[in-house]
Amino acid sequence: MKSVPITLIINGERHDLDVKPFWTLLYVIRDKLGLTGTKMGCSSGECGACTVHVDGKAINSCLMLAAQADGKKITTIEGLEKDDKLHPLQQAFVDHFAVQCGYCTSGVILSAKALLDKNPNPNEQEVREAIKGNLCRCTGYVKIVEAVLASTKEGGELR
Amino acid sequence: MTSFRPTEYFRPQCIEEAVKSLIDFGETARAIAGGTDLMVEKPPFVNCLVDLTNLNLGYVDKEGDGIKIGALTKISGLEESPVLQQGPYSAIAAAARSIGSPGIRNMATLGGNLCNGVPSADMPPVLIALDGKARIFGSQGTRTVPLGDFFKDARKTALKHDEILLDIFIPAPPAHTGADFQKIGRTAVDLALVNVGVRVTCDGEGHCEESVIVLGAVAPTPMRAVKAEEVLKGKKITEALIEKAAISASAEVLPIDDVRASAEYRRELVVHLTKNALKNANEMALRKGGEKK
Repeated sequence: MKSVPITLIINGERHDLDVKPFWTLLYVIRDKLGLTGTKMGCSSGECGACTVHVDGKAINSCLMLAAQADGKKITTIEGLEKDDKLHPLQQAFVDHFAVQCGYCTSGVILSAKALLDKNPNPNEQEVREAIKGNLCRCTGYVKIVEAVLASTKEGGELR
Repeated sequence: MTSFRPTEYFRPQCIEEAVKSLIDFGETARAIAGGTDLMVEKPPFVNCLVDLTNLNLGYVDKEGDGIKIGALTKISGLEESPVLQQGPYSAIAAAARSIGSPGIRNMATLGGNLCNGVPSADMPPVLIALDGKARIFGSQGTRTVPLGDFFKDARKTALKHDEILLDIFIPAPPAHTGADFQKIGRTAVDLALVNVGVRVTCDGEGHCEESVIVLGAVAPTPMRAVKAEEVLKGKKITEALIEKAAISASAEVLPIDDVRASAEYRRELVVHLTKNALKNANEMALRKGGEKK
């Protein structure tokens, strides 16, 4: 079987890899690079647990071939923390008890971050739209939405 | 069940090279773009993946009086395109916005949404209603197929194995034209139970000169409700007439019972969605006088 040589820039670090044609980006991130903060859920683009950023956009890494990510800049949940300090969005999730079992959390945070990168002061509707591809079976989403809004510059409130 | 284990992967830099790979590997080759259908379906017979993402077919541009939309344009690119925010073209952005989640829309492409031939796909109805034409490249050269003739059966399109969709051309809508898209899904991110794209073109006094009503997820292919279109033709559009057309549309469609909804429920949805779509399109046609010719 042919291997495809690729380069991924993950959280600022360059990785040169040989991947099989059918390997997904999710598989490479977790099983080849050991970045297990990104979760595998449904493997069919329904649950959003595998959400990462590719060139700044939130995508479902279970549906992208690793070969298709060649040369791209990828951000996973491990890339948000800086100098041992949580990203404000991560801190807001802690402060607002927006995490229960935690399986969906990294995907939700990356979907929310994609929104905030584009629109620093979203309203509740926009937050809910941004995370609608992320299933959370614990929280009922209220705490999640609160956390995202609180992390914005103006600390928006639920309406 | 055998699993999805392609052994070859190509990322051609030009369309000729892409077509050649599809021919060389024959029926075991599949084109891949966003992957949001193929990577869910994971067909076990696929041995070779031909990745189309480097083909420079991601654009929404003016061409003459009309517009062209490249097959590799992401669904999120349609949502955000400045060309698609006003007038009848805004129905295209509305259809794009209704698809899946933001993550899916950042991956999925217009070409994938059309070429997979899924009966519930959200882009075909509006694009057919707006007289879209598919421009196709293959080993025999380039050809153009009206989108209304593009869908042959569930998961079957006019595209031959050695052909690739280049883009969709949409002519300028006539004056006094409005268009709209309506959809109902089971959840916020589920496939459509029913979707509808309509175009209404009126004369200066609010009489319907021409309408196109295209329904999705109610037949093996997107389906024109031609009898409903006849109901409107030449008449002054009123609420009662719209109601009559919507009921006619629901009698014409051929929905099935499946895990998402019963055929009966789908027929009922057709009435309501068609009514809303016609109402909105008609208002647009009257309000703005449509796009300038």
